[in-house]
This record gives sequence, C-alpha cells and structure tokens, in this order.
Amino acid sequence: MAVVMAGFVDFEITWRADVFGGAPQESSAASFGTMGINFRARKATSEEEWQAALARLNCELPS
Amino acid sequence: MTMETHSPTGPPVPNLDLDSLRQAIQTEYQVVAENPDHGFHFHTGRPLTRMLGYDDAWLEGISEAAIASFAGTGNPFSMEQPEPGDRVVDVGCGAGMDSLVAAKMVGPEGRVVGVDMTPAMLAKARKAARDTGLRNVEYREGFGEALPVFDGWADLVISNGVLNLMPDKHAALGEMARVLKPGGRLQIADILVEKPVPAGAKRNIDLWTG
Repeated sequence: MAVVMAGFVDFEITWRADVFGGAPQESSAASFGTMGINFRARKATSEEEWQAALARLNCELPS
Repeated sequence: MTMETHSPTGPPVPNLDLDSLRQAIQTEYQVVAENPDHGFHFHTGRPLTRMLGYDDAWLEGISEAAIASFAGTGNPFSMEQPEPGDRVVDVGCGAGMDSLVAAKMVGPEGRVVGVDMTPAMLAKARKAARDTGLRNVEYREGFGEALPVFDGWADLVISNGVLNLMPDKHAALGEMARVLKPGGRLQIADILVEKPVPAGAKRNIDLWTG
C-alpha cells in the first residue's frame, strides 16, 4: 500500500526467503519472522493511472 | 532531534530519536565497510551473493573489497536487468557492489548514481569504482528521504536492504518516485516481518540495527 501511495503501480513481491538464518551473530530478526524479499513496481505514467491504482486499494489520500 | 514519522499505511513512531538512529546505523555499517569479516547478525560478501542468486558473471571484474562488504537482503537484478543506456539510482548503495553490477549492465552509454549516508561506505565505493575501472558510476552522500538526484532523471531505482532502515518510508518511497521518469521501474530488495512489531519496540534503536 505504501508503494502505491507513493506514486507507483503494478506492485509485486517476486521472491521471499529467510536470509538471516545461520548468520554469525544472533539476530532479533527471527523473533519477528523476518524474511528477505524482492519487490518491483512502476512509476505511474499519468495521474489517471495512479488514481486507478489507488482506487483498487480502496483507500483515501492523507490530507 | 526527535520526530514523529508517519506513514499513511501505519501508526507514527513517536519520540524516535532520528539522529541517534542514523548514528547507530552509520556506526554499524562503518564496521561493515572497514571490517567486513567482523561477523554480523546478517550475512555478507560472496557467500551472501550466492545465497541471493547473484550470477558469478555479474561480479566478474568487480572489486573484491566491494563484494566483501555487500550486505543486501535480496537481489534487485533477479527481476529484470538494467538495459544498455539506462540511468540507474542505487539508494543506500553501501560499498557499491550493486551500483557496479548495474554499471556493467548499462554500459558506457548508461549512468549509475549510488547514494549513501555513511562516509566509510562511500569511500570504499569510490575506490572500488576506480579499481574496477568503471567510469559511468558516481557516488553521492545523502539520505534516502532526500535523494541528491534531479526529478525524473532515472529509468530504474534499485535498493538492497536499506528501506527497512529508514524511519520515514513514505518519504523514501516518494523520493524514489520523484527521481524516476514516468513509467520508470522500481526494483527493491528489503525485508518483511510476519509478526507485528509493537510500537514500543519501534523506538528501540537496537532493534533497528540488530
């Protein structure tokens, strides 16, 4: 949602995995179920395209 | 300085000492730059590149020093590679490995700008660029929430393991949008948490860095 609200469309998480397991030092990451991810998006080409993406989120812009 | 950082997607983090947070992050990543074999709560270097699916061919010719201090959480290039001639911004470039990979991919007609707030990392990145012999990459000091890049300059913004360290993610994402051309691509590696982080924990700077 934050990505779309910043002006992007076509947001997609493409990969996720545990990237902290086995690290030399213990981390707080495991306690929160932390995973590495890859994500992508595209800057909207027009105001109309962005508004359509926001509408699909069914959210309101902050005032 | 303390500030309330607010994202429209979540509650604010009241009384988060931004200066202390940034100093703690800079201290941590100065060690990553200067002593990459120290042993951290995250993986680093070539073993990490293999874990994250970096093609060995991408790293050919790149300074071993830059690779040693690589501390990403994913692989921005796995989604789509930059094209020859592309302009790329690497947000939170660290010791510059991803910037150098991008610089190889965009070729002499392309340009890469790496941005980082940690002076030790920037020094290492600039030396790595000289050692690698790539002339289409430059590194600039700055924050993700205020990128030193012109509006609409970039075809592609990448970042690797950095967005989670920025207290105002909405501002950082807004900056990424600002520097991109309309239709420009965002390819980010970062982290997600599967369990909610309590508000009090968000004020614990140690949890941001460890």
